[in-house]
Amino acid sequence: MATFGSLVVLRLLLAFSPIPNYLYDNQQLTSPLTSYTRLKEGVFLLQNGFDPYAGQLFRHSPIQLALFSTVMPPNKYVLHAFWTLLDAATAWNLANIWKKRSGTTDWRRETIIQASYLLNPYLLFTSLALSTSTLDNALCVYAISLAASGKRAPALFALALLTQSSLYSVLLLPPIVLLLCTGPASRLKTPIAPSIRISDVGRTVFTFVTYMLVLMGISTLVAGNLGWMKETWGATLTVPDLTPNVGLWWYFFTEMFDHFRSFFLMVFTALVTIAMIPLTIKFQHDPLYATYLLVGNISLFKSYPTMADPGLFLSMISIFPELWPYLRHPLPTVMWHMYAATLLPLFNNLWLGHGTGNSNFFYAATLVFGVANGAAFLDSTWAGLIAPYGKPKQGYTLLQI
Amino acid sequence: MVFHFLRRLILFTLFYSFVAAQTQDQVNAASKFLQKDGVQGHTNNWAVLVCSSRYWFNYRHMANTLGMYRTVKRLGIPDSNIIVMLADDVSCNARNKFPATVYSNNRRSIDLYGENIEVDYRGYEVTVENFLRLLTGRVDPSLPRSKRLLTDEKSNIFVYMTGHGGDEFLKFQDNEEISAFDIADAFEQMWQKKRYHEIFFMIDTCQANTMYSKFYSPNILATGSSKLGESSYSHDHDSDVGVAVIDRFTHLVLSHLEGINKTSQATMQQLFDAYNFDHLRSTAGVRTDLFQRDPSKVLLTDFFGGVAQAEVVQSDDVDDARDFARLASSAKPSVVAESQSGKQQKVSTAWMEMGSDRLGELGRNSYGLSRVWASVGLIFGTYAVTRFLF
Repeated sequence: MATFGSLVVLRLLLAFSPIPNYLYDNQQLTSPLTSYTRLKEGVFLLQNGFDPYAGQLFRHSPIQLALFSTVMPPNKYVLHAFWTLLDAATAWNLANIWKKRSGTTDWRRETIIQASYLLNPYLLFTSLALSTSTLDNALCVYAISLAASGKRAPALFALALLTQSSLYSVLLLPPIVLLLCTGPASRLKTPIAPSIRISDVGRTVFTFVTYMLVLMGISTLVAGNLGWMKETWGATLTVPDLTPNVGLWWYFFTEMFDHFRSFFLMVFTALVTIAMIPLTIKFQHDPLYATYLLVGNISLFKSYPTMADPGLFLSMISIFPELWPYLRHPLPTVMWHMYAATLLPLFNNLWLGHGTGNSNFFYAATLVFGVANGAAFLDSTWAGLIAPYGKPKQGYTLLQI
Repeated sequence: MVFHFLRRLILFTLFYSFVAAQTQDQVNAASKFLQKDGVQGHTNNWAVLVCSSRYWFNYRHMANTLGMYRTVKRLGIPDSNIIVMLADDVSCNARNKFPATVYSNNRRSIDLYGENIEVDYRGYEVTVENFLRLLTGRVDPSLPRSKRLLTDEKSNIFVYMTGHGGDEFLKFQDNEEISAFDIADAFEQMWQKKRYHEIFFMIDTCQANTMYSKFYSPNILATGSSKLGESSYSHDHDSDVGVAVIDRFTHLVLSHLEGINKTSQATMQQLFDAYNFDHLRSTAGVRTDLFQRDPSKVLLTDFFGGVAQAEVVQSDDVDDARDFARLASSAKPSVVAESQSGKQQKVSTAWMEMGSDRLGELGRNSYGLSRVWASVGLIFGTYAVTRFLF
């Protein structure tokens, strides 16, 4: 508890230092969908009577617009305090997930989990940059935590709220539905298909859809018309804004011909969405693990990632200590991440600060980052698959899972 | 029936003639505006300044051209409208005792090279073919804009050439020559393609007047430094630089132009009257038969400067095009408007009024913050409901 408190205080101290001033517009920590400056702009426009969605600048969801123009003014200091609070809540919720999964409490383990979230540099710097991806992470972990605790309606509401700002999170619905129907306990070592009542599933999905419709209605009320959908969700799906970020999409879309644009949009969207069904089916015995893997997949392939998305995935591995022995290449993954984390800001500065490099440098660094995330994702998937088989016995080889 | 038709016809004719008169009025007013004395139909100025000889000892030709460039820029022609062709780079020549400089007098008072010159054709790019292509506009599609002569039928062009010449030829780069016929034909092509309004051709070489003897296109005023059989001489010789730094004819023209500025009403005739044999040691000539205006009515700034005649009229005095033309034709040309600050103030308040009206209307009608507060309440309300639902 003391460690947790001191980490939060450390986060708060960093937030009020001059460091964040250099980070607000950093394109690795923020994206056009999550940038703090764009949020301020949108709130200003709304408060002065203009339609924030008319200018294709503001791409936050209307719910965030509503929140930050009324309850929470987009003042730096207030937001820094709020963001620290969100981080603390997310860390606590992560520990809570583990508690529900293992059924016990162990303050040492919980401290490790909280520290893995609060000390993760990807997450730390994104939070200092006041990027709303911290808000998304908080909602994601909160939704999973509520689902792990069995609270159906709040979990689905949190997921619906998350989908408003991060469209790809709707892919987390199937595993969360299964999680709500079966429970968070670790069943990786005993992969037996759970018995699920269809009525349960139907009820859950119906609840989610209702909450989605309600929130969409509230968003339309805030925005005045339905134009917000094209600017927020439409931006996620059709990638109109090619501001560089740490993802894999932007460089492709800057250099392709318009003729092939829809084809590539289809391919990239397929990359994001195609893992949902297989992961849910394969890990139906442990839907919490499926959720975790899907978070990793989405963060790897989403259209406007920031560093916080893979950061959450990396921090969440602390919830599954039973799988750590089965990871095949944790050290290379860490090395890849360190490599990418060094190169990304370096090449970004070389390209846009110094002017001596070009966008290919930064793109190469994002590719390395993608390899690092892919390595983490694949390793976690492999560990989850191999867990039932235990440690390889001498003389036996595993032919097929 | 017939009476009805006739009445219609009379009315229609009256209406038509009324409208036509109005239109003709406007047309007349507009063309009168464009043809005032002193402006005479040209709307933009260009300069083509060519130095055709290379090597260190032709330093003075480079200095001639750069001096002309400086004067023309000073008098208002922007770099985008000046084409400078320098066949060699004397400022960075190994023999230049004062590197990165070009001087045009032996007191070395002004560095013509400076920090801000824009040379469009340099070194071996200065060829006869490039010069003729530049004039006629028959250039490769890949040629950059800065190297093109983008003139139109309202452009006044000042063409200045210097180098070594002879009877109806000018030497380029020591290995080829352009003849007077070539330039005359190029100008004729330009006339046919409506690429100039008026051309002022000035040439400073030996036997220079022969170069303009073959022109046959209208609206060309030409002057040269020496007649057939005469050489043109250099003026200043600098012992430290080691070569002559300016030619007599160009030196006379430039010193005459140093005395004027953008608002000057000095005429071409005054410049021609300033030619004298004692100074030039050669007979400078002028050709005016192709030029429609009288040189004593042509301002120096019509060719050497890039002066735009702007008249400021108060916006509330103008109801339509007729009023505007009437006011414009009666107002004296002035380069700076005294009432400008007052007008600006009026304009800016109008904008602010318009702006605030629009804001207020939108703020009241469409995006009231009340809706936002209502939606926030709804969000929290829904969350509270979920807490009690399982």
